[in-house]
Amino acid sequence: MAGKRKSGKKPAAGGGRAGGYCPLGDAVRAGIRQVIDAQGRLTGDLPEPDLDRDTLIRLYEMMVLVRAIDERGWVLQRSGRVEFWIPHKGLEAVHIAATMAFARNDWIFLGYRHPGALLLRGAALVQLFAQFFGRRDEPFKGRRLPTLMGDRRLNVVPMTTQVGSYIPHACGAAWGAKIKGDDTRFLTFFGDGATSRGEFHSALNFAGIFKPPVVFICENNGWAVTTPASAQTASRTFAQKGDAYAVRNLRVDGNDPLAVYAAAREARDLAAKEAPSLIEAVTYRLGFHTSSDNPDLYREPEEVEEWAAWDPLIRTCKYLERKGYWGKRQEADLWTRCTRDIDAAVEQAEAMPLPDPASMFDDTFEQMTWMLEEQKAALLGDLERCS
Amino acid sequence: MKARRLNVMEALNAGMAHELESDADVVLMGEDVGRAGGIFRTTSGLQQRFGSARVIDTPLDEKGIVAHAVGMALYGLRPIVEIQFSGFIHDAFEHIMFCATRYRWASGGQYSCPMVIRSPSYGGIKGGFWHSQSCEAYFVHQGGIKILTPATVDDAYRMMIAAIRDPDPVLLVEPVPLYRALSDEIVLDGQAAEIGRAEVVRAGQDVSVLTYGPIRHQVAKVADDLAAQTGIDVEIIDLRCLIPYDIGCILDSVTKTGRAVIVHEAPLSLGFGAELAAVIQEKAFGYLHTPVLRVAAPDVPYHFSIGDECYRPDAGRIRIAIERIMEFEH
Ligand SMILES: Cc1ncc(C[n+]2csc(CCOP(=O)(O)OP(=O)(O)O)c2C)c(N)n1
Repeated sequence: MAGKRKSGKKPAAGGGRAGGYCPLGDAVRAGIRQVIDAQGRLTGDLPEPDLDRDTLIRLYEMMVLVRAIDERGWVLQRSGRVEFWIPHKGLEAVHIAATMAFARNDWIFLGYRHPGALLLRGAALVQLFAQFFGRRDEPFKGRRLPTLMGDRRLNVVPMTTQVGSYIPHACGAAWGAKIKGDDTRFLTFFGDGATSRGEFHSALNFAGIFKPPVVFICENNGWAVTTPASAQTASRTFAQKGDAYAVRNLRVDGNDPLAVYAAAREARDLAAKEAPSLIEAVTYRLGFHTSSDNPDLYREPEEVEEWAAWDPLIRTCKYLERKGYWGKRQEADLWTRCTRDIDAAVEQAEAMPLPDPASMFDDTFEQMTWMLEEQKAALLGDLERCS
Repeated sequence: MKARRLNVMEALNAGMAHELESDADVVLMGEDVGRAGGIFRTTSGLQQRFGSARVIDTPLDEKGIVAHAVGMALYGLRPIVEIQFSGFIHDAFEHIMFCATRYRWASGGQYSCPMVIRSPSYGGIKGGFWHSQSCEAYFVHQGGIKILTPATVDDAYRMMIAAIRDPDPVLLVEPVPLYRALSDEIVLDGQAAEIGRAEVVRAGQDVSVLTYGPIRHQVAKVADDLAAQTGIDVEIIDLRCLIPYDIGCILDSVTKTGRAVIVHEAPLSLGFGAELAAVIQEKAFGYLHTPVLRVAAPDVPYHFSIGDECYRPDAGRIRIAIERIMEFEH
């Protein structure tokens, strides 16, 4: 039987309580900055960020919507309506809080588990579902795998598909803004696995030297497919890799949106002052790696259970309840609304047309070459003759 | 020895297991290949059987994986490295094409890098452009690396063994869409395939179709249909090996039929078909009744939502090309 791991418990990169899987219960010892604990109470470590009621509710509502999208995406994939799915369950806090800490004209270089970044910047739900269904009328014209998203109008650059290869692109874009004297800041998300690629090291090295206005967020979700973060590096933390390149760095609780917000906000400010940052957000992928994955082969159910107790949605909800901003009725209404909005988006997106074969040739160059013109004519002729 | 029924993935696995068993210098490494047996499960059970020192889970770093394998090979090991999808091989290009292939030549023959780079390739799995790539042509251009591409269960097992035993670097272009879809009876006798031999999949008199990879099975179907419906008698050659390719087999066929259609999934321009078309006109010009035709993908990326249907050559386009070459008039 392939790989049923029964050996010692290994905390996801960088340790926590001895014997435990999730270091968030002992965050101080693990050097992980927090605002709230599992019950949504202030821990007294990082100060509570100064966010008003509406903003906090918006943050939480987005986290719930993004969770609901994941649940629906999974069902659509399992029933064969969406070809492929990359879950983001449990990872809502990092990208949503960080995006909120940045300005609308700041650029974001996305990974593939971050739909909230687009939604926060105004993308319609139907645009996302059209992408999941590979439809013609979404920004990428149906060309990319479901969940690999972006939108130039929203200053969100799509992922390259190769893990981590875009980290220097984010750094280079930030450097470009610095050269031009623009005030735009740059944010990029990538996983623990991505830190093993040369591009991560190259980007940090350049960032240390040229000090562009960039914030690197390493979403350490414990796993890169079947490889635990502890097998990705022998370093105690991912954040400390910044030290080697003289890049400011810190670890935050990635399931605590307030901690992520505070860290990202500060990093954004410092980014304009010749101090790029590497933030390691310690979180956990509660779902499968992708719809082709089978986590039973490589991880223990107890590990998932332990982390589920630190579910960012539950913590944020409790925090809002404590503040008197949220209650059972709002919670139920919110989920109803999300379901209804998603139903409508799915229905509308699924009815949209698929791309035309001729469109495969567009955008290879700004002006199509005669070579492609000829190949296009030949292909369309053949397809016509076949039909 | 008794025959067993295996699919392509299991045959590749059996080939690796055979060599890990019989040669202590063989090691296997890559992302997720060990404990979990690879994302496709091609290496399932091998770490359990041969230990984590020889079947190694690596960090996510294609360049690093190949580069370290180069070092191991220089020291006398025989590393097999798995690239998760051929679309991610490009990060390692320098180490494959300018290090692994060059140590022998650049050291005056003192060093060599016997290693196998497993590159899961080809489309048809709704993978979009990085997970459906046929990028074998990039590796054809400079010499120093052999390129093998099995499309049957027997070839999967025997080419794996041949690749591991070969004294030079080998790129094993694996047929992802056939991993589980194709199974067959095979005797696991440890016999290696002969590198550089094509296979005449179907003998015919009228037109030679030269192909490789999983699309060979579509070509076979088209040939059967054409024979039944039109009487056109197609000869099919699965090249199996791109470097070195089987020139004898190709010329025997083309000089007999006088017509050649080349079919591959990779893009047209400077795809392997360009080399074949050139060599056929150089060596068999006087025998040709028609120009050589190519069926290939266009020079654009593999499209996610319609690529499997419209980008990848299919039975319809293969048939049109064969009919066209039969109708050709000067
Ligand atoms: C260069 C490269 N190699 C391999 C892959 C296949 N792959 C896709 S996601 C992934 C794991 C990425 O792990 P991590 O960076 O931790 O991000 P996560 O998926 O956990 O969010 C791998 C190996 C890839 N996309 N790119």
